Amino acid sequence: MTLKRYLETPEVGKNFEKRKAGFSGTDQGWLSDIRARAMDKFMAAGLPGPKVEEWKYTNLGFLARFLANENFKILKTGPDAAETKRLFDRAYMGNIAGSVVVFVNGYFNPALSSCPDEDGVKFSIFSENPEAFRQSLAEPKQATSLNNLNRAMVTDGYYLEISAQTTMPQPIQIIHLATSGSDGQSLHTRAKISLAAGAKAKVIESFMGPDGPQYWTHMISDVDAAEKAEFCYFQFQLQGKQAIHMTEMHSTLLEKAKFTHMNLQLGAEVSRSEIMNSLSGEYAEIDLRGAYFGRVKQSQDIFTRINHDKPHCQSNQLFRGVLDAGGKSAFQGKVIVARDAQKTNADQSNKNLLLSRKAEANAKPELLIYADDVKCSHGATVGELDRDQLFYLRSRGLDEAAAKELLVEAFVAEVFSDMPGGGDTVVLQQRFIEKTRGWLSKEVSS
Amino acid sequence: MLEIKNLRVTVGGKEILKGLNLTINDGEVHAIMGPNGAGKSTLSYAICGKDGYEVIEGSVLYNGKDLLSMDPNERAGEGLFLGFQYPVEIPGVSNMNFLRTALNSQRRYQGAPEVKAVDFLKLIRAKAKELDVDPEMLKRDVNVGFSGGEKKRNEMVQMAVLDPSMAILDETDSGLDIDALRIVADGINRLRGQDKSILLITHYQRLLDYVVPDFVHVLADGRIVKTGTKDLALQLEAKGYAGLGIAENAA
Repeated sequence: MTLKRYLETPEVGKNFEKRKAGFSGTDQGWLSDIRARAMDKFMAAGLPGPKVEEWKYTNLGFLARFLANENFKILKTGPDAAETKRLFDRAYMGNIAGSVVVFVNGYFNPALSSCPDEDGVKFSIFSENPEAFRQSLAEPKQATSLNNLNRAMVTDGYYLEISAQTTMPQPIQIIHLATSGSDGQSLHTRAKISLAAGAKAKVIESFMGPDGPQYWTHMISDVDAAEKAEFCYFQFQLQGKQAIHMTEMHSTLLEKAKFTHMNLQLGAEVSRSEIMNSLSGEYAEIDLRGAYFGRVKQSQDIFTRINHDKPHCQSNQLFRGVLDAGGKSAFQGKVIVARDAQKTNADQSNKNLLLSRKAEANAKPELLIYADDVKCSHGATVGELDRDQLFYLRSRGLDEAAAKELLVEAFVAEVFSDMPGGGDTVVLQQRFIEKTRGWLSKEVSS
Repeated sequence: MLEIKNLRVTVGGKEILKGLNLTINDGEVHAIMGPNGAGKSTLSYAICGKDGYEVIEGSVLYNGKDLLSMDPNERAGEGLFLGFQYPVEIPGVSNMNFLRTALNSQRRYQGAPEVKAVDFLKLIRAKAKELDVDPEMLKRDVNVGFSGGEKKRNEMVQMAVLDPSMAILDETDSGLDIDALRIVADGINRLRGQDKSILLITHYQRLLDYVVPDFVHVLADGRIVKTGTKDLALQLEAKGYAGLGIAENAA
């Protein structure tokens, strides 16, 4: 029997019809049109199957079954306020100044939010002002079937625009929470981030939910950085054990723009983080870093693409994975250097540490180089903890767990080396170390 | 007091120690010399509990407690310190963080309160000064990019901070120039001054010019074949193992 390239999902169309009256912006004709057309496209294509190269390591059959769920509701109201507050307190980093924007079960939560309100900064929420998203919905940066599904079902999202030469003095924390009421739901959010020439901004995005419910977070973000703009982005993925987490970020950088992206994946049962970038102006720089952790049925998938379209650009990718018994990961990183993108400098490094023989790490670097005067490197490794290092630490008094913890921390610490961003970066790194320790200290169940 | 009785150890299925007996009383300094392949390093690893060193017979008691039933970190907690012949590099872990974690792990094991960050800093600065070690070295990752001499000096800093009651130093003197050798010897003598026990494993007599042992043993083919005083080391230096009727690489 041959596997189909795409999985059919007839139930999704029916669910869409049932849900659509509850969507945001039903009074906007243009939006309903976009939703309907995007849904048609999704239905015609279906979900990518395992024969689609990009989805080789994450079988979406389970997602097709999840989407066939009859019990879809629109959770715009009703999440338990006390539970929401508890989750918020865990996700919110009080020691980082700045505004905070909260989404609960895929919808903006005004009560917990204090949106940016500064000169030179435009900020909108999709459910309050869909018009701001018109262009990005009408002309998506990528029209994959999942992207179409997101456009059809979009629940909510945020729009951030920074005027030329404006520096946001403080980062924005975006917090996505799922409550126990999110079981069986798909939460389709979007973001549109635009930095005009010379603008600077930092966004810290956290995703968190309880272990009980199975929910699907599906977020698509478009980033445009004009000449000399600088954008710094952090993602903390701390989803519940049964969650399905998917984010796509599509960036376009113009001349001398800089984009730093830190991607930390600790939770969810299935997680896929796509970071797709185009260096579309000379001397643009992109720095992608990340660490992912997986165990017991957890699957972590990092999928990056960097299009070097113009000369003199620089890209750097540094990803570290830690897998324990039953955990699985895939890193697929593609760099495409166009014919006239001379003097390109592209580095890619992916190292994986297996804490158990029952763990699996896949690494797939891909370089497509059409220019002849470039410097491109890539390295991928899969290894175990060094026995001599472990014994050295233990001979000094550290028990096995403490010795492993120290070595794993050291292994992933590299993703923070030479990380720009000042005091906030220190806070974020500290938080990351705490979460890493928390992950390590949990019992391995096999 | 360390008491080793009839110790037999295999590595990879091959018997390396073949019934070794050794007793070290509190405050004594013993040196073990011997030809290559005699089992010197195997002895130190077996006492400290490295994986792959399988004890098939015999006992090792430290202050009456059975070391062989303990994990390596518990043995450290009991006061044992192993100075490595080849100290291991640990990228990403600073010396400071490593030493503080190690010291507090041992103190927890001993039921003592953990050392506060401020007190730890004072302690480590004082020890670095005593041993003439650049405090900048302590900020660097454990042994990463260190020269052979720096690595051995770093072992001495660790020993001084962890303050063991028994130190086993496995060829700590190898690969050292004369200045580094003095510093290492100085570190050992400081420990000795506090009436601690020391087992020196060495190839050469020259360390023993600086640290004068109470006893010198010759280990050959997995057993101690000769015991004497410092004079024995001098005889070995002069005549070689063969000159004393001990076969080189008898194993």
